[in-house]
Formats: sequence, C-alpha cells, structure tokens
Amino acid sequence: MDYLYGLAQTIGVHTIIGLSAYVVLQTGQVTMAQAAFYAVGAYVSAMLTTLWGLNILIAIPVAALVAMVLAGLAGFPALRFKGLMLVVATMALGEAVREFFFNFDYQIAKGDLKVGPAGAEGFRQIRYFYERGWTTAEVAAFIWMFVIGIMALLWWMDRSRIGAVLRAVGEDELAAQSVGINLTAVKVSAFAIGGAIAGVGGALYAHYTTHVEHTAFGVLMATFAIAYPILGGLSSVFGTLIAVVFIQGLLIQWLPILIGGELRNLLFGLLILLAMNLRPRGLIDPRVARTLRGLFVRSPNA
Amino acid sequence: MKKSALFLGACALALAGFAAAPASSQQRVIKIAGFGAKTGPVRSFGVNSEAAMRAAAAEINAKGGIKLADGKMAKVEVTFDDDRCQAEDGINLVRRYASSDVLVAVGPTCSNVAEPLFGILQKKVSDEKDSGLRFPIFTDVAVKAGLAQISEWAFRNTPNEPLLYDALFKYLQAKRPELKTIMGGKEGDFAHSKAGWDAVMKVAAPKYGMNIVGEVEWKLTDTTFTTQVREMKAKNPDVIAIAAHPFTLCGVVKEMARQGVKPKLIIGLTSSSSMETMEGCARQVEGAIIPTTFAPVNPEAKRVAGLIAKQKGSADLHSTAAWENVIILKSVIEAAKIDGKPETLAADRRKVRDALAALKETQGLLGVTKRTEDREAIKPFVFVTAKGGNWVVSYDPTKPN
Repeated sequence: MDYLYGLAQTIGVHTIIGLSAYVVLQTGQVTMAQAAFYAVGAYVSAMLTTLWGLNILIAIPVAALVAMVLAGLAGFPALRFKGLMLVVATMALGEAVREFFFNFDYQIAKGDLKVGPAGAEGFRQIRYFYERGWTTAEVAAFIWMFVIGIMALLWWMDRSRIGAVLRAVGEDELAAQSVGINLTAVKVSAFAIGGAIAGVGGALYAHYTTHVEHTAFGVLMATFAIAYPILGGLSSVFGTLIAVVFIQGLLIQWLPILIGGELRNLLFGLLILLAMNLRPRGLIDPRVARTLRGLFVRSPNA
Repeated sequence: MKKSALFLGACALALAGFAAAPASSQQRVIKIAGFGAKTGPVRSFGVNSEAAMRAAAAEINAKGGIKLADGKMAKVEVTFDDDRCQAEDGINLVRRYASSDVLVAVGPTCSNVAEPLFGILQKKVSDEKDSGLRFPIFTDVAVKAGLAQISEWAFRNTPNEPLLYDALFKYLQAKRPELKTIMGGKEGDFAHSKAGWDAVMKVAAPKYGMNIVGEVEWKLTDTTFTTQVREMKAKNPDVIAIAAHPFTLCGVVKEMARQGVKPKLIIGLTSSSSMETMEGCARQVEGAIIPTTFAPVNPEAKRVAGLIAKQKGSADLHSTAAWENVIILKSVIEAAKIDGKPETLAADRRKVRDALAALKETQGLLGVTKRTEDREAIKPFVFVTAKGGNWVVSYDPTKPN
C-alpha cells in the first residue's frame, strides 16, 4: 500500500507541473520555462523549512509567490516572441535558472552537519515530512490537497470569464485584441499563474524526494510539463491528470512490471505516438469533455 | 457420461495441482531486489550489476541456499529493475520493495538517485518519531563520497575514491617524477564525475607536487569536445585527468587524438576502468592509468569474472561489488538468524540492518574490505593501465615490487 501512496505522490506532483503549463498553453503560448519555476519553488521552500525551520504551510505559499514573480517578469520579454521563438526563449530562461542552481552554494551549520544548497552537489536532508513523523499516506493526502485545490481553481477559471479570455487569446490574438482584451495583461497573468502553480509543485517535489539538484530541472522536465496537458488535451483540466497517470503510472511504473524494463523504452514512445495519432486533440478532447460534463452536470432542459 | 468423466478428470487434476501447491510453497525464498540504470549513458552499470547479482544467487542456490534461523534452507531470488538514473523512479522502486516481501535491496547506480533515496529512509534507527522507510539498502555502484551518512539503513560497498587517488598520486610522484603539471576534465552535470575531479583528484594532485594548470568540463550526454580539447592543447599539461564515464571519456580521448593532444599520462575515473571503455576507445586510451577495486588478479576474481560473463555481464569494480554484496548478505542473513517468514519480515529487515552495521570487515574479491563506522567500505585496490585493448594491473600495493 505504501508503494501506491508513493506513486500517488509522484502522480500528484507531476499533475501540478502539468497544470502549470496548462494555464500558459491556454493562451497559445508554448513554454519551456515551467521547470525553472518548479526549481525556484523547490529550492525556496526547502531553504525555508530546512535552513530556517518554517512551517511548510508558510514555505509553500512563499515559494509559489517567488516563482510567480519570476514568471511574471519572464512574461514581459516573452511577449515579444511567438511560436518557436518563444520556445527557444523560455528554454534559455529554464537553462539559465538551472545553471544558477548548479552554482548556488549556501549552507549553514545545523548540528554536526552543514545543510543547504551545495551547487552541483544539490541540496540534501529536506526531511520535513519524515522528521515530523508523516506517513506516506499523509504526505500523499497533503500533496493531493494541493492537486485538488489547483484543479478546482482551474476548472472554475475554465468556466469563468477569465477562462474565456485566456482561450480567446489562445485562439486568435488579433480577434481578442479587437474586442478590447489587453494581451499583455492576459499573457503575463497566465505566465504568473503558471509560475505560481509550478512553484507549488516544486515545493512539494523537494519535500517528498528529500533531495534536489539542478539535473532534475532540465529540458526533460520542461518537456514533460508541456507534454502532459498537450497529450491530455486542453479542453479540460482532467486531461492533464489522465496524461500523467498514463505516462507516470502506466508507462513508467507499471509497464516494466507487466512486460519488463527493456520493452518499456520501445513501447514508451510508441504508445505516446499512438495516443497522439488516435486522439490528436488530446486524450480528453472537446467531444469527450462535453460528454463527461453531460454526465455530471444536469442540463437545464432535463 | 464421457463429459462427466472429463469433468471429473479435470477436477482431479486441479485438486492435484492445489495439493501440490503447498509442497512447492514450503520452499522458503529470500528475495533480494537489485535496481540501477539499465537505460541511458550509464546503462552498462545496471546490466553488469544484474548479471553479477544473478551469478551470485545462482552460486548460493547451487550450494543449497541460505540457512535460516530454524535450520531450514531458503533459496535466493534476485530481481532487477531499471531506475533510469531518475530519483523518483528509484524512490518508487524502493517503496514497492518495502511494500512487498523483499528483504533487502542492492543499488542504485547513480548518486543522484542514492541521495534522495537514502533521504526517505529512517535517519536514525533509535528515532521512533522518524517516519522514514525502515528498509536496508546495500549500494554497489553509486560512489559519491559520504552518502551512507544520510541514513542508518544505508550501506555501501563502493570505492573510497579519496584514498585511491591519494595513493595514485603518491605512486606517480615516486615513479614518474617528471610529471609536473596536470589539467582536469569532468562531466560537470554528473555528481560522481564532478566530485571525482573537484573533491578528489584536484585535492590529491597538488599534495604530491603536481601543479594544476587548468580545468574544463562537459556534460554526461555531450558528443562534441572540440573546445575543451583545444583548451587542453593550449595548456599542454604533462597529465590530463579525465573524471568521466566511458561514454564521454571515449569522446574526449578521440578528440584529443584528432587534435594531436598527447599528454605524458592520462588518468581516468574509477568507473571508466571497464570493458566498455576498451570497446569504445582502446587505441586512444592506451597507457591511461586508473585506480580500481577490481581486476582479475587472483583465481577467485578470475572465476567470478567468468561467472558474470556467463550471465552476459562484464566484471568491473562496480559489478563485482554487486557480487560481493549478495555474498555478504548471505553470510549476514545466516549470522543474524533470519526467520524468512512473512510475519517476521519487518523484524528480519531490522536484523539484516543491524548485522550489516556490526560488520568490521568483509571478504572481497581482491582481499579484505574494512567497514567504517559510517557504513562505508575501504576496499583493497590496484592500479590498472590500458594496454593492447585490456586493463592490465600496473601496480598492486600488496606486491610493491
């Protein structure tokens, strides 16, 4: 059972990083910077709890805030770019942040140990949960509290005017601008919200793995971040969750148990290609999203 | 009538099967889970560790298995999983083992997996409030210094690189006094490689009179090294120390050959003293020297290398550590008087941990390995030199002359 709770932690954290990209993708911007904000959230929160002993319920919002500010600042120059240029620009930002943590060295003595970020060596002993006796199930529940909260927020946003505005910008910027939508405000806000969500994900990641280092926040993580919502579909927040379960649960964790590790690597790419071909608009495409909504939301005519 | 007979026959067979089942389930099994990288640039380590673990288990089982507390013999069952050198995969694997009937795990390959993994284990066994996993891990490959300090459930049988390179530079000062300058190259994004230069070779070289004239770095997955080698050429050091794994080591030495960079000596990282290096760039590393904790220098080491080869693996300092770990675990399990029953699993794991912690020395393939207070190993070593497509022992401290 402990294993399943552990897997729930992984799926929860990856869902959050996927949802952080989901918001930005709604505005038609493809970003490779989410891993950077994830890293900021991880390091900031870990420093607050491990070096200065703050409660994690304070550390996570602070980490999210710092990541949000950075993402907001990144959003302004990103306005100048579109399409592939934006991908390259955000990838450069991601690498710059990763390089910063690669060289970031700040340790303080804690008992007989020195703790804190140690450049390329990483930041170990982020044992907040374990030192306080949290069980794996409790950690999983804590992570899922954030997952559900963020999903609920985004689900509400999708159905509100904010969601309509984000989608309008994503569908056709010119048309959106012509009806008075402030493109700068929308795009920067999407970046900032996405950054804050990634910061929360990073904070949870740092604490459930107990160790962070720059290699965890590279291009691969940035690619996964946008792959989840793209594979899952941008019609519903649940698409991202389904995609994370598909990739992290089925392909990475269960496939090796079912068929052996060697075949997993062959099937990994193949299954993703298959999924993208069979469901080009995502696992939860607009039609499925409507059907699902119909199941849970009673029609006014019924 | 015919149908009824067939049905009754099938029922009888099924019942016979059920009746036979308890007999086979009476055979007790000790499960040891191996895990490491079987994909990516360091996949050979996982492949070789798996082969070594399976070879060791086969040898133990051929001799009757492991003796349990009640005097009955149990077979050893080894499994091996790919953690892709990813921390989350390593953590999830060990959580899966801890939730199952696995007694102890051997792994991982990568230090960036070992570090978080050891972090989720209970830090001190006496701390009842600590909710970390209570599961013993005996590492064979992840070599970054000081990792076992993280948890009292973590043990390692890996080379102590500071001691190895200290001995190497001392040896070079005595035997090759003409070597005065050194330049380092490292995989900057890989913990072991970076520390191999920064915290090990860079510290030992000046201690024995070598002047550091520069350093360059690249990434584990890089494939071009033109700029770095050009810098090496400009500095023209006597010695080039390459703290890298076979994949990039070969890329660098091939680029050195292309640019005509010919130092008097190349020093490699422990992990590169493998056949993978010879398969990739034997001609270019000719003459390179590496300290290692394994070489087929005695009959037992040769025999084990043969057994690992039969399992489609290669014997090197890492895979033979996996072999040693399984053999050590057999004696530890017997000494700790493990019950090997499902209801005693947690107690058995604790007994294994305590018995591993109590070890003062173990028998390795090159001789006696000393165990330290912080659950690390001090292993016997030799220096090997690349010669004609093989690693040949150039210095054995036990035979100084």
